[in-house]
Amino acid sequence: MAFDRRLLIYINWPLLGLTCILFFCGVLNLYSASGFRLEDGMSVAPYYQKQLIWGLMGMFGMLFVMLFDYRHLRTMAWPLFWVTCIMLLAVFFMGKTIYGARRWLDLGFMNFQPSEMAKICILIIGARILARERESLGFTRLAYVVGVGLIPAGMVIRQPDLGSGLSILMILGGMILYHGMTPRVFKTLLITIPAMLPLSWFFLHDYQKQRILTFLDPTKDPLGAGYHIIQSEIAIGSGRFWGKGFLAGTQSQLRFLPEKHTDFAVAVFGEEWGFAGTMILLTLFCVFLYQMVVIARDAKDMFGSYLAAGVFFYFFWQILINMGMVLGLMPVVGIPLPFISYGGSATLVNFFLIGLVLNVSMRRFLFKQ
Amino acid sequence: MTHMFDNGNRQPPKAGLLLLQIFILGLFCVFALRLWYLQIHRGEEYAVKARENQLRQEPVFAPRGLILDRNGELLAVNEPAYALGLVREDCKDIKATLAQVAHWTGVPVAELQQRFAKGRKRVKPFEALILIPDLSFDQMAVIEANRLHWPGLDIRVRPRRHYKYGTLMAHILGYVSEANEAEMEKDPKLALGDEVGKQGLELMLERALRGSKGRRQFEVDVNGRKLDERVLRSPRAGQELALSIDLHLQQLIMDWLEGEAGAVVVMDADTGQLHALVSSPSFDSNAFSSGLSPEQWATLRDDPMHPLQNRAIQSVYPPGSVFKLCVAGAGLSYNMVDPRETVFCNGALKLGRHVFRCWRRGGHGKVNFERALVESCDVYFYKLGKKLGVDRMSTFANACGYGVRTGIRLPHEKSGNIATREWKRRRFGERWQGGDDLNMAIGQGFTLVSPLQVARFVAAMVNGGKLLKPQLLKDDKVELLGRVPLNKDQLAMIRKAMHNTVAGAHGTARRLRTKGVDVGGKTGTAQVVRLTDELKKLKDKDIPYKYRDHAWMCAYAEKGDRRYAIAALVEHGLHGGSGAGPVVKAVIEYLFNGVTLKRPERK
Repeated sequence: MAFDRRLLIYINWPLLGLTCILFFCGVLNLYSASGFRLEDGMSVAPYYQKQLIWGLMGMFGMLFVMLFDYRHLRTMAWPLFWVTCIMLLAVFFMGKTIYGARRWLDLGFMNFQPSEMAKICILIIGARILARERESLGFTRLAYVVGVGLIPAGMVIRQPDLGSGLSILMILGGMILYHGMTPRVFKTLLITIPAMLPLSWFFLHDYQKQRILTFLDPTKDPLGAGYHIIQSEIAIGSGRFWGKGFLAGTQSQLRFLPEKHTDFAVAVFGEEWGFAGTMILLTLFCVFLYQMVVIARDAKDMFGSYLAAGVFFYFFWQILINMGMVLGLMPVVGIPLPFISYGGSATLVNFFLIGLVLNVSMRRFLFKQ
Repeated sequence: MTHMFDNGNRQPPKAGLLLLQIFILGLFCVFALRLWYLQIHRGEEYAVKARENQLRQEPVFAPRGLILDRNGELLAVNEPAYALGLVREDCKDIKATLAQVAHWTGVPVAELQQRFAKGRKRVKPFEALILIPDLSFDQMAVIEANRLHWPGLDIRVRPRRHYKYGTLMAHILGYVSEANEAEMEKDPKLALGDEVGKQGLELMLERALRGSKGRRQFEVDVNGRKLDERVLRSPRAGQELALSIDLHLQQLIMDWLEGEAGAVVVMDADTGQLHALVSSPSFDSNAFSSGLSPEQWATLRDDPMHPLQNRAIQSVYPPGSVFKLCVAGAGLSYNMVDPRETVFCNGALKLGRHVFRCWRRGGHGKVNFERALVESCDVYFYKLGKKLGVDRMSTFANACGYGVRTGIRLPHEKSGNIATREWKRRRFGERWQGGDDLNMAIGQGFTLVSPLQVARFVAAMVNGGKLLKPQLLKDDKVELLGRVPLNKDQLAMIRKAMHNTVAGAHGTARRLRTKGVDVGGKTGTAQVVRLTDELKKLKDKDIPYKYRDHAWMCAYAEKGDRRYAIAALVEHGLHGGSGAGPVVKAVIEYLFNGVTLKRPERK
């Protein structure tokens, strides 16, 4: 197959550029958060180096994903879905237990977490199903779509991994919102879901309840999460308008944060780059998200459009929850900030999904002229 | 080909696209506002907090519960000790700092590094890791003078256990010492450098004694001064404990046993409360709180007199004639003794080819039940033992609390040994023989008892047969663990024999006579080895120490509504009456007349 030069022209270059900028911001931030100082005379793992390696691998993955036509995924959607479900099932029987949760499959050379795959899979199957729906969803169709999502989500929650399970449902939920539903369904959900929330309290683990209570009153748990919230706010706040400057924020007050390179990475950023920096970062993220809206809008088949919407929500929820947590607007839950927080498999998945939407964008000409 | 993917001319949902843009806008607005609020609106305030003030927390140590004697005399208290802590976040160069600390204190660098490596996992950020739990005054002075050059080092005042009578109470109170890795693993509340009970009551009552640490939060300015301290949680001191032990009695007995190895137990016969529990020689509990050097430890461990051994409960000895009280009881219980019946003692009993001798060479002549006990006639008991046999004797001895633990609240209590046929077969692969019965009947052979068991048995003889749990705390309730299977009359017979052992003209415990007090007793001489004929010819003082017999004396003393059971054992003290009797006499004088008899000077 001859390579069509239009493929290159139609690539959403802003998104690709933003992704790279965000990723390198993240590496720079990690360098500041952990890399340069030899604590206690013992070398601390240079997270930024590892992150750089993961990132390069992710970029290769991204290029690979861009090569083949995304529309093949549509045919593969159901087989992919069932394979994922079988792997989730396998986790129950031969999963590896780490920290009391059975989430991993031992592939010999690495530990594989099928719940990550389930997140990708849900946006593909969601795109496939929703793209064929011509009408806004009524109760029956909604029940069908949600039902499909509940299969993997339920298994993930049982692992137990409430965070990933809810992410799956939230991504699917976002896609449903994108597709639209009948006014009746919408009104009903608007009333019932908030009404159900207090009920879910009884299904939470004690530690999860504790986190919510801590969020409501950080002074209640001054040793644990509350301490983090307080210190995170101090770190960000003390950056003021211009920040303390690169590498200058790694004063003692940040080193208390055990998750400063992962979940609380943005606190480091806020301290060093100030309001000016955080506003730029926030803007970058918003433009980054907006590019996916553009891709969803311009995609020339519904499947591609819904894929883009799914990826949008994948990133949107993470940004919302992580920043909300670090800025003290939400309870502390372990959700990383895309491209900014340290994390190997997360970085791979992020690049993979960007590759997917870039794929959609570069093939949008195929239906037009 | 393309039609395969075509799904008509549908456009992406307009409302959906709008919704996504609204979401982005919402995200931007909420976080921009929040960032503005944190970084601009309150930025100044946070900057001040971050730059000059550092929120920190540290534990507030809880003092360990005080321990008092029955009269309210303080035994275990807490005094301030100075600990050297290291806050690793403040420390510029850990390696150099540890080297400096090693230089100041003489603690090897490797040990400090090990402590640091172990401790860092257990210490919260900005909390001091205790490097040295107990600084000497000189060390502290040096460190205090140089501390400014070594940021991160921090001297903390913390309570340290002090025993006012370290040696006297060591076997009861035990000691505390730094928590080790395993203990910290088990109990997350323990931090490096914390002291925990390791022996005695300190160990057994650790939970009550420890209390719980508090926590305070404070802010530190750039000069390291603490500002604006706030107590998050107040420490709760450990529970105060009053022992049933009488400090002065304990001291009196300890003085009497000085230079000897032995044990004395004084028990309230009706409640089981121990008024004294002495094991000699002893060691100093205080040596452990400040950390024992390996040499000090080796000295204690290898001391031939075994000062760490609590002889009252952890050592078991052949009871000798003291056991005859139990065998006599078995005879009565099984109706195999007629108190009026007499046995002729000519000084020996032949069994097969063996000759079993009475301690009185010439024999006692005609002896009845009471006289056999009063004069401790061996031949009478050989015959009784033969008649009873091992099964009855061991069953009855068990019922009297021998061969089983008393349940005293101290660690590592020994149960002693009451032999059975099965036991001998398992232990030696041999059958039980007639001679074993005879040996058992006079408290020799395989029988081993602890002084505490003897005291409890004596208490049962005078309190109506109740086997009580020995109690060490004043507030402990009476705990009845069992009953000796003897009726009132049978108990009275034994008690009368004990009484006459003291009051009678030929009794072996005549030295216990005390005016106005009803005292009864039984002596015992326990063979350590079967003496060779050569040694037998020697005078007592010429027999090598390690071959000398152990001396036993057990007694009850009663006046009005107060009754006590006393057991004394002096290792290698030769004869019960002379070796262990005087200390028992001194105890009785103290208990009832308030007189403190001093031990006569010995050469």
